[in-house]
Formats: sequence, structure tokens, C-alpha cells
Amino acid sequence: MSSLPKRIIKETERLVVDPAPGITALPHDDNLRYFDVTIQGPDGSPFANGVFRLELFLPEEYPMAPPKVRFLTKIYHPNIDKLGRICLDILKDKWSPALQIRTVLLSIQALLSSPNPDDPLATDVAKHYKENEKDAQRVSREWTEKYAS
Amino acid sequence: MLKPQPAKPSKKKKDLVVRLTNARGFEFGRLPQDVASWVSKLLDLDIVDFRGSTVVDCPTTLHSGADLIISLSIYIKASAFRTPSTSAEDQKERVMFNEGQETGEEQILRERKQALLKMFKVLELKPRKGSDFTRRPHGKLDQQDLEMLSQRQVASGGSKPKRQTEIVGDGEEVEVDEEGEELSDNELDLIYKRAQQNDRQLGQMDPADTFTLDLRGYQKQALNWMHSIEIGAVSAREETSMHPLWKEYLFPLEPNNGVIDLTADDRAFYFNEYSGELSLQFPKAERKCRGGILAYVVGMGKTIMLSALIQTARGPEDPAPNGDTNTSKKRQLKLNSAFRSVKRDADVLPKRGPAATLIVAPTSLLMQWCSELERSSKPGTMKVLVWHSQNRTDLDVALSGDNPVDVVITSYGTLVSEHSKMERSTSPVFEIEWLRVVLDEAHHCKSRQSKTAKAVYALRARRRWAVTGTPIVNRLEDLYSHLKFLDFTPWSNYTFFRSFVSLPFLARDPKAVEVVQVILESVLLRREKNMLDTDGKKIVELPPKEVIVENLEFSPLERKIYDSLYTDAKKNFDKLNERGLVSRNYTHILAMLMRLRRAVLHPNLVLSGADEGIKASSAGAVDVNALIKQFDEGKDTPGDNKVFAEGVLANLEGEEEQECPICFDVMDTPTIVPICMHQSCKDCIVAFIETCREKGEDGRCPTCSRGPIKESDLIEVVRTKAETDSVESQASRPTVTLRRNDFRSSTKLEALLRDLQRLRGENPSFRAVVFSQFTSFLDLIQVALERESLTWYRFDGTMDVKKRNDSVVGFKADSQGPKVLIVSLKAGGVGLNLTNANHVFMMDCWWNAATENQAIDRVHRIGQERPVYVKHFIVSDTIEGRILQIQKRKTAIVKEAFRGKGEGDPESVENLKIMFGDI
Repeated sequence: MSSLPKRIIKETERLVVDPAPGITALPHDDNLRYFDVTIQGPDGSPFANGVFRLELFLPEEYPMAPPKVRFLTKIYHPNIDKLGRICLDILKDKWSPALQIRTVLLSIQALLSSPNPDDPLATDVAKHYKENEKDAQRVSREWTEKYAS
Repeated sequence: MLKPQPAKPSKKKKDLVVRLTNARGFEFGRLPQDVASWVSKLLDLDIVDFRGSTVVDCPTTLHSGADLIISLSIYIKASAFRTPSTSAEDQKERVMFNEGQETGEEQILRERKQALLKMFKVLELKPRKGSDFTRRPHGKLDQQDLEMLSQRQVASGGSKPKRQTEIVGDGEEVEVDEEGEELSDNELDLIYKRAQQNDRQLGQMDPADTFTLDLRGYQKQALNWMHSIEIGAVSAREETSMHPLWKEYLFPLEPNNGVIDLTADDRAFYFNEYSGELSLQFPKAERKCRGGILAYVVGMGKTIMLSALIQTARGPEDPAPNGDTNTSKKRQLKLNSAFRSVKRDADVLPKRGPAATLIVAPTSLLMQWCSELERSSKPGTMKVLVWHSQNRTDLDVALSGDNPVDVVITSYGTLVSEHSKMERSTSPVFEIEWLRVVLDEAHHCKSRQSKTAKAVYALRARRRWAVTGTPIVNRLEDLYSHLKFLDFTPWSNYTFFRSFVSLPFLARDPKAVEVVQVILESVLLRREKNMLDTDGKKIVELPPKEVIVENLEFSPLERKIYDSLYTDAKKNFDKLNERGLVSRNYTHILAMLMRLRRAVLHPNLVLSGADEGIKASSAGAVDVNALIKQFDEGKDTPGDNKVFAEGVLANLEGEEEQECPICFDVMDTPTIVPICMHQSCKDCIVAFIETCREKGEDGRCPTCSRGPIKESDLIEVVRTKAETDSVESQASRPTVTLRRNDFRSSTKLEALLRDLQRLRGENPSFRAVVFSQFTSFLDLIQVALERESLTWYRFDGTMDVKKRNDSVVGFKADSQGPKVLIVSLKAGGVGLNLTNANHVFMMDCWWNAATENQAIDRVHRIGQERPVYVKHFIVSDTIEGRILQIQKRKTAIVKEAFRGKGEGDPESVENLKIMFGDI
């Protein structure tokens, strides 16, 4: 693998020195492009008090291409599927090289606060949210307690 | 005692009888037929005498037909030894006019030669000394050399002679019979070895006091050598060389009463194995021409040495020196204007012998000669006239009168056009008898059939000099043209040269190389930079030269373009190769290679129609105020953004260290997105727009996603340090200019600009020379330099002499600011003196490293006082790497392999396979 771009080094440093509230991201020793991430569920959301583990990988083309991010912790969320894949525009076509790991993770955190069942990835969860949001949030809370604490 | 007297052998062919008679004249026997055949010849020609023989063995009963064994003493008669002359002198005219036909006289000589050789063989006389075979340790070919010669690969030999076109003189194209084999570097070294071996001890000579420069030791030696030759001193080198065609034999010692006195002195005689002549005197390698080949490698000050010579040995000579009448007469006859010449000789010349020197040089060097001559002489002591194109004034007038011109400089091209006029009328340049003619870069007329060469041969001169760094470019035949120009008999006769040099060389006869060595020893002075002087120091101490090959990586887009071109070319080549048609489609493949090589430099050089954008604006300046105004008018701009945008523009001058949002580094060439005024590095945003395009999306601002934007919309912020020569603004506040990014750069261009910017930072008045072989690339470099506001000058083959000269003069002129000279490798690779620069950039690679080195030597040569830095840009994983690989293959054939047209020889095809990665 080619040497690590200065940008990645700087980003990593800043994540360590000045972490975003409720978010940690630590690179693996053997692969500095591979991060172990945790995101605290935002207060007021069904995911509050949960700590979700994610993995984040910076591909060779980064920052011209978006990082690859996936939830490792099971989560009941209309935009996150069983495999932990996330439906978020900035991770796809709205990616811009001016975005960073930090902004990506903050966006994911925000996604937890405001699920968007109209653009679903997990269709059954989305359906549940649309038909009976209260009940769906209850399941989300149960899952959070069960898997993310 | 029997006293055999040779009887007249019968004259019938193949029925020669040599009778042996006793003292009373009684015939008692005959020599056997095979012996009689040569003995009779020698007797007929009155070369030998037989005296005192004894019957050694004789049958007890004599009958007719019995075999007698007798011993004969053979004496060579004194009459057989004539004064040695270069036999070719007599033969010369004959051979010329009656080529191929053997005259009666020649036949006799041939038979005499054969008979003598036979006799020597029978007597077991072997040459003690050929002009070459002995004299180890110097000059002798040692075993290794011989092996090398015999192992020469049959590269072109054996096959039919190739024809190929070469450029000679001023762009003259000649079809050349490529009969002679090409020489490898090692072979060339061997050939020069002898001519160089004693040169350390050569005497030195001080130039005339009108000469204003200091000569180095080896230059003084050259002056001494040239001057001695000109004034006809025997030879500046100790005259010890035997004529190449002669061999030394020793007389066998005569037994005195059966005892051989071993203490007796050896007595030698000399035999010319080619003409059959005999001599008692040492046949020297003679020189009849006054002149020679000055073969110093580039950058050793050949121009200066000749200037010293011109000033030191200036005419006028005697109107009619005896020694030279021969030459001039012969030349007159060749002219159609014999009548006029005679008249001139009668009227003009007797008053004043020739005193002027004619210098013939490639067009690009005319002005340099002129300025060098003036620089090296006291003002007013040397009058120089450049006789070229429109400036062809009346030479007769210029050369006569009270203040005649000392030196006339002309070009090969002019000479050729004047020579072609000769058919119809006369041309003064060929009628005037010059004191001295100097051919600069004389390899321009290496092909004897070229018009240039013919024109040069037609010049009349007392003294002739061929100046070249490469007297033998790649074939021994190259040398012939120089010898012809020098009128260096006998070698100036082509038949002669061919039979003693070219043909034996083709036949792998090491003698050929030895002959050439001897020729060169008396006619050529060669020095290389690394040779040592008498004190064991290097004769030329040049400042160090640092060559860096920088490997660059393509941008993704360039890589894509290149790879697709390469894949096409390789497919094409493989197809041809499969069908065995490579050599027939040679030209086509060369064209493909050319395209690839251009693609490495800049994609625009291969994309058709891509160049419109470039020429549109070379400076691309954008006015800050205009931009602000545009924002004030609120065109296309959301209001809330306006404040930010104005802030950005207002702060441009102040802020310097800003971080790029993409690479998180300090912005390198900050670039503004005009619709939102967000900034980032140029490379970063260009790469992003490129990735957007690849995905089929419009480019957009990475920070705020506004779009669409194109590369050419971007505006670069260029900060230049205020030049320090303006005293008022001593606070070197960076000045900021904006320019539109409508010039598409390339990896190589960027690398060059980056280095030039760095240089400007280190030394605000640096001088750099940039070489490329593609003038279309020079065009792009030019635009790029313009955008960087770097002062540039250009030198290429499409420019006329005056323009080229202006460029060089402008580049050399003193000034505070930096200057860059962009030179086409072909036009400026030779002769130019650019020692005021000490940075060289090679933008591409040429097939052979020698050409590149020669270009670098424009800067790294005498007069250079600073270390020279050479940067060679190579793009990784491209054809350029392969070219370097081929450069390393140490075959001389490579030099030509890619130049010629028509069919490729096996070697070239091999090279092509390397190109396409098959080996």
C-alpha cells in the first residue's frame, strides 16, 4: 500500500486531539485506513444511551471517494439494514472531498436522531416506522438496550 | 664450380623455363616449374641476381630428367630499390579515370609484387616491422582488441546494402549506401587510441598578441600542432610512423665461409606489399596536405583554438609557393571557369597571396563564430564577414582593398547553393584561393555523395581544417570524406581508401583498423575531456555536473489517455509481429511510437483539436476589481454569499497560509471557484472535477457543492515575491495576481514549472535551458512560462539565423530577472555555447544518450564556472523507461535504428520488441 496521505494523518490526529462529542474513532495499528468507531445514540432519540460500534474504511481514492462505513452493532433503523449498511447521501453521490471522517460520523449521528423512512434501506423497518412510529421506536429502544449497551 | 647463369626464360605463357648453366655456358638443368614462375619474373624485372650456387645433392648416375638439389644465393639488385614514393601518387589519376581496368603498368607491378612475396615466403623472410604490427606497447592491437574486432557481430554485413536517408549539411537529405559497417564505441576508442598516445608530450605554442583570451595547455598544444602543419614543418608529432602500406624486412645474414656472424648489424629494407615497391629508406607516413582534423570532443574550445590559429598564422602567404601549385592546378581544371581563374591568378593574386580564412559552419552557429572571433581578438585586429543568405556581398571587394576582411563565415547551405550555381556561372567563393578553409562540425559532410560534401571538395585552399567532435560518426567511411576534403593523399582517393580500409574492414581484417590508426596519427588531433596533461592533471577541469533523473507519475487522466494509446499501439504491433510484417511496416510503427512519446509529454500533443483552448489566452490574467465588481452586480450570486466572497477577495493579499479543504495542506497554487469564492489547491480541485466527470456528473464546488463548474472556470491566485530590484518596495510584500485556469498543463510541464519556481525562490536571476525534441511541446512550454511570467527565449530549427541569434543574445544578456531558453534538441544540440546558464532540463529522452549528452554539453563546457544541474524528467511506466533501457544496450546500431526509413534490420526489430515489452 502506498504511503498514507498527509490528509489522513492530519484527520486522525485531529480526531484524537479534539474528538467530536459522543464519537470516537481509532485507527487500527496494522492498517491506518481502518478505523474502529463508536457513536453514542443522541439524547431524545430511541437510540439514546446506546453505544454503537461501527467500522470505517478509507479507500485508496479517499478523499476523492467517500469512506466506507458500516454499523457493527445491530440497530433497528429504517436507513440502516441488517448488515449495518447505511443509506446516507454524503456516503454516496453527495460525497465531496471537503467532507471528512468527522463530518461523516456527525452526519450518521444526526441520522439516528432523524430517521428518514421515505428513503429506506431496511424496508420492513421503514414500513413499521411509517405505519406505527411509536411501536417502531419501542423496538428501536429495545434493540438499543439489547445490543448497544 | 658451377656458375649458373640465368638463361632467358621463354616468354610463352605458363611455360616458363629457367635454365641453369655452368660456367662454360653449358645448360645442365632447369628450375622446377613452380619455382621458375616467380624466379623468371624477378629476373625479367631485373630485381634479383643469382650468384654462386652449389650442388647439394646429385644422383650418382646422371640421366636426363634426374633431380638435382642445388642451393642458390639470391641477391636483390640495387636497382630494385628506388626512392620510396607513395606509390599511389602515380596510380592515382589512372585509377580515377580507368577504374576497374588494370593497365599494363599495373599488371607488371602486380606480378612483381606477387613474385617478391613468393620469394620472401620461400626464403622464409618475414616482415620484422609493418607500419603497425610491431611496436607494442603503444598503438599495437593487443589480443583482446583483435578478438573484439573479429567478434564483431554480423549486423548489417552479409545482407544487401541498405539505403537510408541521412540529414547532412544544412538539412540536406542524402540517400546513403549503408555499406560500411557501423562501429561500436569500443572500436572507435581503439581507432583513436593511436592518434592520442603521444599527445601529452606535444609542444605548446603561445598565440599572437592580438589574441585576447588565455589558452589552456592543451589548447596551446593544438595551436602548436596546427601551426606546424600549416607552415609545413615535417610534423608536429615526432615523425616515426611508417607508411601504412610498407613493411620492414631484414636482410638475411650472409654466411661467411659457412659461419654466420650474429653480431653483425641488422640491415633492413622495406617492401610495400601492396605496390611491390622496395626501398632501403624508411618510408614515412607522409603528409602532403597542410591541414588536418581537429577532433576535440565538444566543449573544449575548438572555436577558440581556431581563432588563435587564424590570428597567429595570418597570411598573406607567398603568391605561388611551389609545393602547392599542384593542388591548385588540379582544382582549376575541375572548375568550368578555368579561363577566369587563370586571369585572376595573373591579375589579382600575385599582388597578394591569399590571406583570408573561410569558415564553413552550420547555419545555427554562424553568429556564434562571429562573436567568438571578435571576443577573442583585440578590437580592430580581425575583420569578420558573415556571408550568408541575403548578406552575400561582393567577396572580391571585401577581400581586397586597404582593409580586407580576414575571415569570411558562411554556412553549408550557402555553399551548396553557390556550388549549384557553378553549372551556369561562377561563384566567387569557389574561385578565390583561400589561405585556409575551416569546416566546423565537419561531420555535416561525412557523406561523400552529398551535395554538401561535393561543394566542400570544390573549395580552393592552401590550408584545410576539418573540425568535429565526431570524425567517425558510425562508419569508417565517414572518415573518407574528411580525408578527401583535406586532399590527404593517397587516402583521398576513394578507390584507394576503399581497397585498403573499407573492404578489409568488412572482411574483418584487423589491418584495416591499423591503417586507419596510422592515417589518423598524422592527420588528426583528438582530445577528450578526461585526458590528462603532462602533469597528470585532467586537461579540462569543469565544474561538477549533477544529473538527476526524476520519475514522475501521470495524473489519472493522462494515464488513461496514455494507456489507451499504448494498448492500441501494442495490439497493432503484436498483430504485425505475428504475421512477420514488422520490418515492412517500420515507418508505421515509428509513427505509433512517436505518438506515444508525445503522449508522455502532454495529452494535447496527441488529442486532435485539443489545442484550441491553449492558444486562446496565454497570460489569462484576471482583474481582481473586475471580479469584485461582478459580485457587486450580484450576477449569479446568492446574496448571503456576497459578503463572504468580498471578504475572500479583499483578503487575498494578506492571507498566505491557508489550508486546502481537500488535502488539508497549505494551499499550493490556491484556486478560487468563481461562483462561490471557495478556495482549494489547484491540483485537488482539478482532480475532484475530474472524478465528477468520470462519474458523469457536473463538476461542483467541494465545499458547498455549487455547480456546475469547469476546470477552465477556475481562477488561480498567483503570488509572486516582489522583485528586489525596485528599491522602494523593499518590504517584499507578495503581489497577487489572478488568472483563469484555462491552460491545461501536464505532469511534465508541472514538474518543470515547479522546479523553475523553486529556482526563482533560490536565485531570482537564474538561467535555465530547457530541451525538448518536439517543437509542439516547446509551444506549450512557452505558454506555461508566459503564464508564470518567466522571461523566455526560444531556439529551434524553424527560426532563421537572425531570430536564433537574437534569442541567444537575449538569453545571454545581463539582467536581474530569471531567464529560460527553450531549445529544440535537434537545432540546438550542437555548437551552441550557453555557459551563462547552469540549470538544464531535459523534457524527453532521445534514442541515444550521446545526443542528450551533447545537448547538456552546451551548458557544461569550457567557460562554465558553476556546478551544472541537469534534471531529466521521466514518466514512470511509460515508453520512456523502455527508451532508457535501449540506451543502455551498448550497440552503436541503436543510434541509427530509429532514424532511418524503410526496412528495419533485425536489431531494430529487437529494439521495437523492447518498446512493446516483449523482451
